[in-house]
Amino acid sequence: MALDGWKERLFRRYLYWLCRPARLRRRLTALIGEGGPVHTSVPLPDGGRLRVAALQVKVKLSKDPLDYAAEVHRMVREAASAGAQLAVFPEYNNIQLLGMLPGVEEMSRAISDGGSSEERREERGNRREGSSRPAVTVADVIRYVGPVMSQFLSVLYSTLAAAYRVHVMAGSFLLPDGEGVVNRAYLYGPDGRLIGTQDKVHLMPVEMDWGLSAGTEFHLFETGVGRVAAPVCMDATFYETFRILELMGAEVVMIPIANPEPYNYWLALRGIWPRVQECPVYGIKSALVGSALGFAFTGRAGVFAPVELTPDGSGVLAEVASAEEEGVAVAEIDLHALREFRLNHPWRDSNPELYVRYFPSVYQA
Amino acid sequence: MTDGAKGDWYTMRVAAISLAGLPVNQLSDYAAALTGLLDRLQVRLAVLPAHTSFFLCAAGGHVGETADFVESYRRFMQQSSEWNKRFLATHSDLARSSGIYLVAGTTVEQADGLFYHTAYCFGPDGEICCRQRQTHLTREERSLGLSRGVELHLFDMDGTKAGLIVGVDALHPEVARIFALQGADLIAHTGALLAGASVRLQPAGMWAQVQQNQFWAVESQLRGSICSRAFGGDCAVIGPCEVTPGSTGYLDRQDAERPFAAAELVEADRSRIRSEYPLLRLLHLDAYRVLPQLYMQDARPDSCNRPLACDMEGD
Repeated sequence: MALDGWKERLFRRYLYWLCRPARLRRRLTALIGEGGPVHTSVPLPDGGRLRVAALQVKVKLSKDPLDYAAEVHRMVREAASAGAQLAVFPEYNNIQLLGMLPGVEEMSRAISDGGSSEERREERGNRREGSSRPAVTVADVIRYVGPVMSQFLSVLYSTLAAAYRVHVMAGSFLLPDGEGVVNRAYLYGPDGRLIGTQDKVHLMPVEMDWGLSAGTEFHLFETGVGRVAAPVCMDATFYETFRILELMGAEVVMIPIANPEPYNYWLALRGIWPRVQECPVYGIKSALVGSALGFAFTGRAGVFAPVELTPDGSGVLAEVASAEEEGVAVAEIDLHALREFRLNHPWRDSNPELYVRYFPSVYQA
Repeated sequence: MTDGAKGDWYTMRVAAISLAGLPVNQLSDYAAALTGLLDRLQVRLAVLPAHTSFFLCAAGGHVGETADFVESYRRFMQQSSEWNKRFLATHSDLARSSGIYLVAGTTVEQADGLFYHTAYCFGPDGEICCRQRQTHLTREERSLGLSRGVELHLFDMDGTKAGLIVGVDALHPEVARIFALQGADLIAHTGALLAGASVRLQPAGMWAQVQQNQFWAVESQLRGSICSRAFGGDCAVIGPCEVTPGSTGYLDRQDAERPFAAAELVEADRSRIRSEYPLLRLLHLDAYRVLPQLYMQDARPDSCNRPLACDMEGD
């Protein structure tokens, strides 16, 4: 590995010091103390209705992790101020912390170039031939800085969830897991405890080239805001994700995204909206926007529902207007209405005999 | 028409026709008008919407005087065997005389005392080249006593692997996935979405299935009223977003001026995007291993309206 020299080890000690929990907690205490938590006891949904917030985060590399903490705090506070009992952050919601690394912009070139398998092959060849070209992969970087980030992120999101008494889906983070690196979503309860995690199951080709490992199962969490799940971005491209979660009993499916392409309504429509129609659940899409590490992210965070459960029949309960700027989409969802709708669904059907006849053999063909 | 070349480089002109504006009171008038339209369109494949048979039967006054859709449909079901002889013969002649593949929309098929909502495709020789039963039913269709098909059929269309998706099967993604994993290049969809709010669902149907499976789709939606019930979806020719103007996923859509959508399918375009972005190779089979058990647990109270042993489909 290229990041295990004495300089790198020394620098990581500095990062640990920079991200130490005591420093973060002092900062959060000060931030939360400024005016106090705005919504210290949000009632949980006994009537089945709750407010949810889909957050659209503009990415900004932070040299000091406390700057990142302040941004996250501001958005949780905004969601809580709007009465949200669940706040949902986007995919790759820890890449801002890569700003702590010197030379990160040079590294960004390696990250964005990492999308080309051809170049990756060439790079491997260069390494064998002793070329001076940097041989650091995204996975290497995450393995290096991940343990530092992991502790910091845990304290940050746990503290904010508890302080504002909201469920916080912290978005997904690139973090090391054993020998591998995963794209993992984290869900915290209003008591600050980690409820669960979900590894991205369907990786983009570029993520495979980065050396990421895919999740192998979907998880459902019983919470005070219903039965919820948090598959990640590309997972919404494939109906199987939502069908599995629907049949497991999911009522709310959160999809954190970070799309590195210019915004196009139709391309964006290929994800959560049709999935929510096929498998009746509420859908919450959170989006990372802005430029960092050689990528320009776009997206529109929103709250989605079966068209029959939206007043205007659009299937959209709330959506951020801009695809490039920060925003929050807040909407009320009604879990009792969803359960009633499922019981009396006008067209949803099941044909197990058909599925048994063709699955899983067609998958394996 | 096709240019005769096969493999990745063929082109095929296709159309989806909504029936809006066609005379439907007399089968002979309908056939003459449709022949004229097909002559103008110069396509190799034309697709008519769901309920075409019922629409023609009701418009011709063959189901009696009633403004109630459900009652009218029940009457149609009872006489469908007799009516189908005329309906199928008419469309067989149309396919043969025009020298095209013609998906004649749907009718009610009776077999062994059971009723199915079934689409038929005729080849240029006038023979049936595919018969596809709807495999998922709406609540209303279940209450009418229709049964589900349990097979999905691919057929050859000038070297193209084609399949038919009927009604709300387009909203059940398992159907499109099974077709795609068996190599479908093109899906003809016969639909009949209710006018009004239901039309908002249309992109969740074939459009969404094309995007997650990367085949072509020729989607026909009924425009018109049967016994006071109005239908209002849009006909469309659909491809993966990346190969369509503005990345919309649409090669053509019906508009107020035209009761149809027509376009040229360029297979080289589809092959390119399937090569650059091979979506089906990104499926994660290990994560789906729980699906069979979950499906079996999902058996709904009204989901078995026929004995399994009586399924005679495919005879």
